[in-house]
Amino acid sequence: MKTIQNIFLALVTTFFFTGCDAQIKNPKTETVKVYGNCGMCKRTIEKAANERGIVKANWNIDSDMLTVTYDQTKTNTDAILKKVAYAGYDSDLFRAPNEAYKNLPECCQYDRPVKAMAVANNHSEHQGHNMADMSQNNDVLSVVYTHYFAVKDALIKSDGKTAATQAAGLVKAITAVPMDKLKPAQHTIWMKILNELKTDAEHIAETNDVKHQRDHFASLSENLYTLAKSATNGNTIYYQKCPMYNDGKGAFWLSQENTIKNPYYGSAMLTCGSTVETLKP
Amino acid sequence: MKGLLSLFIVLFTANSWSQNVKEYDLYVSDTIVNYTGKKVNGIAINGSIPAPTLHFTEGDTAVIRVHNKMHHETSIHWHGLLLPNEQDGVPYLTTAPIKGMSTHTYKFPIKQSGTYWYHSHTMLQEQNGMYGAFIIHKKEEVPMPEYTMLLSDWTDANPHEIERSLHKANDWYAIKKGATQNYAEAIGKGHFKTKLTNEWKRMHAMDVSDVYYERFFVNGKTEDQAPQFKPGEKVRVRVINGSASTYFWINYAGGKIDVVASDGMDVQPVPVDRFIVGVSETYDIIVTIPEKGNAFELVATAEDRTGQASLWLGSGLKQLQQPLPKLKYFEGMKMMNDMMTVGGNMKDMGMNMSLQQMDMNAVMYPEITGKEQPKKSTAMPEMSKHDHGQDSNTNPDIVTLHYAMLKSPVKTNLPDGPVRTLHFELTGNMNRYVWTLNNKTISESDKVMIKKGENIRIVITNNSMMRHPMHLHGHFFRILNGQGDYAPLKNVLDIMPMETDTIEFHASEEYGDWYFHCHILYHMMAGMGRIFTYENSPPNPQLPDPKKALKMVYNDDRRYYFSAEVGLESNGSDGEMRLENTRNFFDVEWRLGLDKKSGYETEAHFGRYLDKNQYLSVYTGFDFRYHNSLERSKNLFGQMSTQDQRAVACIGIIYQLPWLVNADMRLDHEGKARLQFTRKDIPVTERLRLWGSWNTDFEYSVGSRYILTKYWSLSAHYDSDMGLGGGLVLTY
Repeated sequence: MKTIQNIFLALVTTFFFTGCDAQIKNPKTETVKVYGNCGMCKRTIEKAANERGIVKANWNIDSDMLTVTYDQTKTNTDAILKKVAYAGYDSDLFRAPNEAYKNLPECCQYDRPVKAMAVANNHSEHQGHNMADMSQNNDVLSVVYTHYFAVKDALIKSDGKTAATQAAGLVKAITAVPMDKLKPAQHTIWMKILNELKTDAEHIAETNDVKHQRDHFASLSENLYTLAKSATNGNTIYYQKCPMYNDGKGAFWLSQENTIKNPYYGSAMLTCGSTVETLKP
Repeated sequence: MKGLLSLFIVLFTANSWSQNVKEYDLYVSDTIVNYTGKKVNGIAINGSIPAPTLHFTEGDTAVIRVHNKMHHETSIHWHGLLLPNEQDGVPYLTTAPIKGMSTHTYKFPIKQSGTYWYHSHTMLQEQNGMYGAFIIHKKEEVPMPEYTMLLSDWTDANPHEIERSLHKANDWYAIKKGATQNYAEAIGKGHFKTKLTNEWKRMHAMDVSDVYYERFFVNGKTEDQAPQFKPGEKVRVRVINGSASTYFWINYAGGKIDVVASDGMDVQPVPVDRFIVGVSETYDIIVTIPEKGNAFELVATAEDRTGQASLWLGSGLKQLQQPLPKLKYFEGMKMMNDMMTVGGNMKDMGMNMSLQQMDMNAVMYPEITGKEQPKKSTAMPEMSKHDHGQDSNTNPDIVTLHYAMLKSPVKTNLPDGPVRTLHFELTGNMNRYVWTLNNKTISESDKVMIKKGENIRIVITNNSMMRHPMHLHGHFFRILNGQGDYAPLKNVLDIMPMETDTIEFHASEEYGDWYFHCHILYHMMAGMGRIFTYENSPPNPQLPDPKKALKMVYNDDRRYYFSAEVGLESNGSDGEMRLENTRNFFDVEWRLGLDKKSGYETEAHFGRYLDKNQYLSVYTGFDFRYHNSLERSKNLFGQMSTQDQRAVACIGIIYQLPWLVNADMRLDHEGKARLQFTRKDIPVTERLRLWGSWNTDFEYSVGSRYILTKYWSLSAHYDSDMGLGGGLVLTY
C-alpha cells in the first residue's frame, strides 16, 4: 500500500514539475532586484516578464526580488528586465522611461531608486531659466496663457472634455488677473478684451462639443493675440493661421512652437497652416 | 624582413605621390549569418556586416582595392563623395563591374569632409549586408569624442523574393506587421466607411513601408554599447542610414539632440527632440553623456514602428527611452482618402506642402495626436486613468527636425552660370510596384544632358503615396528652403507625398554619367531615377562597349516577375500564372474539372498597361473550353454563347473600377462579346480574403481564402460551371 502511495506521490511530483518547469527548455534561474510596491505591481511585473514556454517569473513583494527561470538559448536577463522596465519598473540594470512610470496606477508609484537621471544638457538648463524668468516677470498673465495653451492642446487632439475642463480654469484665471498690477498699455488692452475673452472661455467650458468649442476658440484666439502683441508670457509666441477654417475665411491661434499643430481640425488636418507672426517677449 | 620591405614600399609610394595616400583592402565574400536563429546568406566585407568603417582626412588620396571573393559580380559606390566619374562605382554606368574572383582598385583624391558611407550598387546586394561607414575628418579638426551609428535593416528572406512579392502586391508582409487594415478591424475601430472609401478610391492597405524586417541594427547589432565616454562629455554621433528601405526616427533618452551636419555638410546647430533619417541620409548630432554610473539610450525606431535598435551612451544604470507607440493606420487611411482623387491623383488642398514641414503622417502618431479611441469605451476605470496619465505626459510640443530648419554656416550660392529648370513628378503604382519619374522608368527615358558650368534647378513634386529619398551622385545640391544665401547642401532629399521641393546644383564635373535616383532599394530597381550626362563626355575606358553596358543598366527595370496562384480543390483545379514587368503582362488561366462533366477551360493573354495609374490595359489572346454538360444559352447581349465548346482568339480591354473591381470587356474572332467583373482579395479579417466574379454569359463564382503561410491558403469556392469545392491554394 505504501509503495503505491509512494509511486502516486512520485507521479504527482513529476507531473507538478513537468507542469511548471519542464516546459522551459535549457533553463537557467536568476534572482534580480526589481523595485515595486504592491500586489498590483507583482501582477504587472510578472506579466511583463513572463513568456509562455520561455520565461517564468516570480516577484517577491517583501524583498523586491524577481526570480526568473528562462530558456537561455532564447532570451536573457537583460531582455527580461528591459520588458519589465517598459512596464514602468526600475531594476539595477534599467531605469524605466519616466512616461511608463507615470502611467502606473497611484498605488504602484513606488519610490524610485534613482530619482531623476541628470541630463547634463545645456538645453534643459536654458529651459529652466526661461521658466524662472516667466514666473518672476509675467506671472500676472502667465496663468491665462497656460490655460489657453492647454485648451489649444486639447483641441488639437479633438478632446472636448479636456478642453472644457481647461477652459473652466481659463475663466477662473481671467477673473483672477489683478488688473492693478498690469502696465498701463496692457491694462487698456485687457479692459477692451476682458468681456469677450470671458464669454468665449465660458462657452468652451460649457460644452464637450468640439465644433462649438472651436467656433469660440477662434474669437478667443484673436482677442488674446491683441494682448500677446503687447505682453507674452515671457516666451516667444507664434501667431498661426489655418487657411481653411470657416469655409476658407480662416482662423488663427497662438502657439509656443513654430511647428504647426492645427487645433481646428484635429488629426485630419493636423499640420495644415502657417505661422503669420512671431511675437517676441 | 618582409615587414621592412612593405614599410619601404608604403613610404616610397607615399613619397612619390607627395600626398598622404591612405590605402584599404576590402575583401567581399559570401557568408552565412544567424541573427534570428535561422542561418541565411549574407555578404560580408572583411568578414563583417556591416563593412569596416573607413577613415580619411581631407586632402588624402584614397586607394581602395576591392577583392571580390564571390563567384558573382559586385560593385562599391562611394555615397556622397565628389570624385571622378569612373570612380563612382555604379556598375556598367560609370565603372566596370567587379567580376567574381577579381580585384578592382579605386583611387581618388578626398576633396571634402564629413560623414558618408559606401555600399554595393549591384542589384540587391546592399540588403544582404554590403554597406559601411566612410568618415572624412577635417584637416584641422578640433578633436572631439565621436561615435559612428550605422543603421540598417535585416531580413531573413531572400531580397529577390521580397522584390518579387512586392511586384505581386502580396500582403504577407502586412500580415507579419499587423498592418493588413482589414474590414473587421475597420469596423471594430469605427472606420468602416474610411476603409470603404479607401477601396472605392482604388487603394489597397497603405503602410509607411513595404517590407517586413526581422531585425534593425546599429553597427550590425540590435543593441550597441559605447561605455567609453566620460560623464557630461559632449559626443558627436555620426548617424548613417544604410538601410535598404527603412526610415528611422531618432530619439535620445537624455533629451535634446543638437543636429550639426547632414549628408556630410555642416549646418548651424539646431536643437530638436527627434528627427527622421531618410534612407541613405546621414546626420551628425551632438548629445551629452549622463553623469557617472548612468547610460542613456539613443534609439532608432523604424518608421513603421515594427522594431528598433539602440546605442547605449555611457555606462551603468541604463535609462530607457519610451518606445514610439504603434501607428494609427486608419487615421492615415482617412487622411489619404482626403488627399486622393478618384482619378488617382494626390491633391494637397492648396496647402503648398514642402520640406517635411507638414508631416501628414503625424495623424498616425499617438504621441502627437493622442491614443487611438476605440469605438465603444470598453476600457476599465483603471485603464482610463492610464489614458489620463498618458495625455498629461505626452509632450504636445515635441520639436521635430524638418528641412526648413537646416541652415548652412557659410553662403552656398551657386557660381554664376546659365540656369535651367527641370520638373520631375514622382509617380508610381503601389499595387504593381511601378515607380517612375514623370511616369517613365530609367530605361524608358532618355539621359538628361547637362553642360559643365550650368546651374540645374529641379522642381520635384511627389504625386505618389510614399516618401522617396532622392539621391544625386557626385554633386551636392542646395535645398531652397527659405534660408536664402545659407540654403543647406545635401545629396539626398527626402520628399513626402504631395510635397513640392526645389533643389539646385552646379554642374561642376567635367564629364560622365551621374545617377539621380530614389534610394529605397526596391524603388531604384523598379526604375525610379534618371541619368544626368555631361555633354561631350569622353569614352569611359572602364566600359569598352558603352552600348552593351547601358543595356545592362536598363535591364534592371525591364525585368519580368513571375507569380502564380494554383488552386487544388475537390471540384478541380483553378489557377493563374503571370509574367509581368513595368508595362507588359502575359498570363495563363485555367479551370480543370475532375470529371468529364465539368470539362475544362483555359485562356492565355498578352497585354499592356496604358495609362499613368495603370487602371487601363488591353490584351490579346485565346480561349479554349469544353463542357459537354452545358447547354448553349443567350448572353446578356442577346448573342448565343459558346459556353459548351469554344476555341477562339480574342482581344479585350481591362479597366479597374472603383472599389478595385476589374471590368474585362472582350470580343472574340467570332464576334461574341463578354463583359466580366472580378474583385479579388477583399480583406475581411487579417487572414481571410473573399473574392467574386460574374460575366455576361451568366457565369459566376465566389470564393474565400484563409491565408496559412506566405505560400499556402485554405480555400473554398463555388463556380457556376464546376460547382462547390474546397482545398488548398498555392500562392507564389
